[in-house]
Amino acid sequence: MAIPTGPMDLVYRVLDDQLVDVEGQRCGRADDIEFDGGLGERPLLHAILSGSGTWHRRLPRPLRSVGARVFGTGLVGADVIQVPWDEVDDIGSVIRLKARARDLGLGQGDRRRAETVARLPDS
Amino acid sequence: MKKVLQLALGIIAAIGGFVDIGELVFNAQAGAFFRYRLLWAVVVGVIGIVVFAEMTGRVAAVSGRPVFDTVRMRMGLTVGLVTLIASLVINLITLAAEVGGVAVVLNLLFDLNQSTLILLAVMGLVVIVYFVPFDGIERIFGYMGCALLVYVVAAVHLRPEWHQVAQGVVPSWHPSALYAYFVVGVIGAALVPYEVYFYSSGAIEDSWGVKDLNLNRANAALGFSLGGILSIALIMVSAEVFAPAQIDPGFLGTTALGAQRAFGETGLLLALLGMLFAVGGAAVECAFSGAYTLAQFAGWEWGKYRRPREAPRFTLAWMIFFALAFVVVETGVDPVLLTEYAVIFSVVALPLTYLPVLLMASDRTFMGDHVNGVLGNVIGWAFFVVILVVSLAAIPLMIITQGGSG
Repeated sequence: MAIPTGPMDLVYRVLDDQLVDVEGQRCGRADDIEFDGGLGERPLLHAILSGSGTWHRRLPRPLRSVGARVFGTGLVGADVIQVPWDEVDDIGSVIRLKARARDLGLGQGDRRRAETVARLPDS
Repeated sequence: MKKVLQLALGIIAAIGGFVDIGELVFNAQAGAFFRYRLLWAVVVGVIGIVVFAEMTGRVAAVSGRPVFDTVRMRMGLTVGLVTLIASLVINLITLAAEVGGVAVVLNLLFDLNQSTLILLAVMGLVVIVYFVPFDGIERIFGYMGCALLVYVVAAVHLRPEWHQVAQGVVPSWHPSALYAYFVVGVIGAALVPYEVYFYSSGAIEDSWGVKDLNLNRANAALGFSLGGILSIALIMVSAEVFAPAQIDPGFLGTTALGAQRAFGETGLLLALLGMLFAVGGAAVECAFSGAYTLAQFAGWEWGKYRRPREAPRFTLAWMIFFALAFVVVETGVDPVLLTEYAVIFSVVALPLTYLPVLLMASDRTFMGDHVNGVLGNVIGWAFFVVILVVSLAAIPLMIITQGGSG
């Protein structure tokens, strides 16, 4: 299944879906969607945002400040990764990306913990 | 032939893996307090788990989405986060109860210090989970858990009053809060969510696709139904052995004595062996389920089919779950009490995980030709109403009956 060519319900088909890189590695979720364009202009889908730093913005207003403290404030490159829309290869049962997670900055948490787990026998 | 063998092995594993400490506690007490009058609640619970598991297995096989994937997709971030937190807490309480149960059974078998046995139980489970492949884990605990079939033989051997058994299968009501509490508990014990998280994630672990839908149907329908017979047998044995003597089997060792009454020391040993592996297997499923839910919600790499360093956060997550459960059990809290809380709170959270699966199974965009049919939707939504009623009643009944003690 490729990216639908007609109108697409982004909330239904993209938001919260699993991201999988070109090597088949699960590397995050589509936690938010970013548009380009000012007021009165046609908005252009610019990027998928992935990372817990986006979560506080989606919580009910009274929980946002607590959410920011727990899940991160949305610092791009740290707790949020921008995945350019051009890097999306396919939207089917998951969102498949054209590049490796490492090259997009995704899956950092798994890479950091991999060093710890690699010390275990037969890992 | 290979398919038939695979099917048979899967069903046997499902039978042995059906019973956990929740069933052992609630069913044994249900039989002791109400004899056969709660058998119908087991039937309702088993129908529920069959419907729920078949749907989650089908969704996983067709769309590649395990339960928490659908929770995140269909319920969104906020409700999904509430479901995640609730599931993690319930999983931890259940895991602690199962680990405590393993230690209690080991204590009955080997008479060592309880604290040492808890440590040995956790270490043993972690080593097995780490080194044994996924299907091996399913089979070791599933096959050995089948020793609990001694209860089925004992139930017949004890010459129950069959007309009362038949009456018990027909839904009836008894005007007491304690009875209502046990209805919720018995249904809830059959419907614990971690089994479904494990089942659907296991479908991905085993690389199920559309070709495996018959296997899914057979595993869910036959495996869980035949597993339900074990629950019925536990109630029947308890009704024959404990109810006449007015004994409350509020201790796992007491439940094992039901099999001893029928078959002496052999019965007791088979019951304890079955409990050890059934409860141990449930502990493994719980730890995995906790790690699955966390990884699937956040989008991490997950799966036992991956090497530990390829899914490092998933690997660390199930290890941390075992460590936390160890800490909880070492505080000396009673595993049976933990079980009762785990089952009742599981029931409360059940609609939050059942609804997204039902919505996904009814969505042709993701399910194509394998979407729920009219009958599937009617049964699915009817069961959602049952789950909703049971979940709303659970906490008030627990408070009114003081956790089933009054």
